[in-house]
Amino acid sequence: MGGHPGATDLPEAAAGQAARNVPEAVGRRLSSSAWSSGLSVPDFAACVSMGLRPLALVQGFCAMQWSAYAMGGGSPWGARPTAGAPAGAGTPFTSAGSGGYSESWPCPHGIFSAEHRWGGNYQQPWAEHAWSQGFGSAYVRMVEEAQQAGAQGIIDVVDTAQHLTEQSVIEFHVTGTAVAVEDSPPPPAPWSTYLAGQRLAKLFEAGFVPVSVAAAMSSVMMWPNCQTEYLLHGTGGWGYSYGGEIEQVINADTAVRRLARAAVRSQLGSDTLHGARFAVTRHTGNMGGHVVECTLRGTRVRRFKDFDPLAAPRPTVRLS
Amino acid sequence: MTDLRAEVRRGVSALGQVPAQGRGSTSDLSIDEALLLHSVGWEPVELVTGVSMASVPWGVWSWGQGEIAAASAAHATAMRGASERLTEECDRAGGHGVVGVRVAVNVYPNHVDVELVGSAVRPVGRRGQPPARPFVSDLSGRDFCLLLRAGWEPLGLAFGASFVYAPRRSARTTLGQAGQNVELTNFTEAMYQARELAMERMQQAALDIGAGGVVDVVMRQGPMTFATHAIGFTAWGTAVRCGPEGHRHLDPEMVVPLDDAVVAFAAESLRGRPANAE
Repeated sequence: MGGHPGATDLPEAAAGQAARNVPEAVGRRLSSSAWSSGLSVPDFAACVSMGLRPLALVQGFCAMQWSAYAMGGGSPWGARPTAGAPAGAGTPFTSAGSGGYSESWPCPHGIFSAEHRWGGNYQQPWAEHAWSQGFGSAYVRMVEEAQQAGAQGIIDVVDTAQHLTEQSVIEFHVTGTAVAVEDSPPPPAPWSTYLAGQRLAKLFEAGFVPVSVAAAMSSVMMWPNCQTEYLLHGTGGWGYSYGGEIEQVINADTAVRRLARAAVRSQLGSDTLHGARFAVTRHTGNMGGHVVECTLRGTRVRRFKDFDPLAAPRPTVRLS
Repeated sequence: MTDLRAEVRRGVSALGQVPAQGRGSTSDLSIDEALLLHSVGWEPVELVTGVSMASVPWGVWSWGQGEIAAASAAHATAMRGASERLTEECDRAGGHGVVGVRVAVNVYPNHVDVELVGSAVRPVGRRGQPPARPFVSDLSGRDFCLLLRAGWEPLGLAFGASFVYAPRRSARTTLGQAGQNVELTNFTEAMYQARELAMERMQQAALDIGAGGVVDVVMRQGPMTFATHAIGFTAWGTAVRCGPEGHRHLDPEMVVPLDDAVVAFAAESLRGRPANAE
């Protein structure tokens, strides 16, 4: 992923599959003489003034079944190493499943019983691969639409993932506005960014060009041991310290963020991640246990001219 | 004046070239903040986080009197732990400090959760040994730049908390005060005391790291959603100290903006009163 990402980075089979999955109505819509955009009026005005001409609102979808039983590796005990595991379906978005994070948390009291059980934290590569496959497929389809529209870039990208019909079905939805750059030859593949309008203009003015959106999800399952269970419920127990930190949870929370950051870093090469945003969710897994999931999104940008520092800003006081 | 269209064309054409080698940075700063940081000689290095969760013993939120010491202690433990982890991540990334830290504190019946997220920064091009202890600040990029220009330096996050039971009145006092407009002195005193305790702890935390004061203090207060008879006060801010050269007066310029908000009016008012209006 050191070069320019996009549909051209995909293995041919994956790119072909994405192309086949774009509905036939897309061609009719994009060949219409009307154009569309998801930009607000100020963003639209700013983009036109910087030579970006909106062509079409483009989108990609992917509905994924999300089942714990589809896990390919990373089961809590006897987990097989996941280093070098392939990213989902050849998408440009590498999943966090590269390190095989796992920790076991034995009962500190040395007892084996239903209450004094061992616990463990482990990474869930199957969930990460499913996310990267769903997100990546939706992204590729959006890029495909943009290419059909003759776009050079996609701005104001918005992505969502929501449950459809039942808990185990998640639909990924990626939208953006395809734009053409006036008087400029097309790049190898459309670039993309979460930014639009003034913020995008400032990015170019500062000497950065957007390369692509960058995103990754990491997932860690935590099975609390007896001590963690006591601390989470505030009940007594041996070795229980009032007001103490709950280390097993902290380790899971820390690991899930580091894994997401490492996955996004692996997409960056020597480029920079701008406007990064963490989103962390927790829920109970299908088979019990606590699942912590973290998504990290941002725009991968590349410097195209030497840094030209701003003059030291002048402090002002508004008299109104 | 920059020709923005030309810059866009130049940038897009650069995408076809082989990118430079090296390690890029990650940050959650806006482009404005990143540019401002550069203007005072700093650059982002890495997006860093620090999390903590501290246990609160079962039953401490039940009715009682005075401070809920176990909850206050858990809050302090969680904030300290998260701050230390954030500092460690910054240190590992080669940052000299963290700016724009977003503080998320959630208090639950049996645990206090804290999450700190910010951007590790360093002086431009300085890749050597970071300082012994990186600073942590929840100031935005703009406020951080202003602070530096004024000759002050951030040291760390200072925080304090106090959780108290809402005081009760005796049945006799309640009946005696029924129907009167009176100050509930026991309420006033308890709340006053709790606020002062939280502030005192925050200031003590600042002193402990060698700071002279705390700027941009955020105060949160209110009843717990799961125990409305318990009230929490939390306060945090960036602990600062004056640099070796002392305070520098910024001498701000006065500006009169000519972009006053448009006065809104209802278009209906132009039509005059309807004929059948009374």
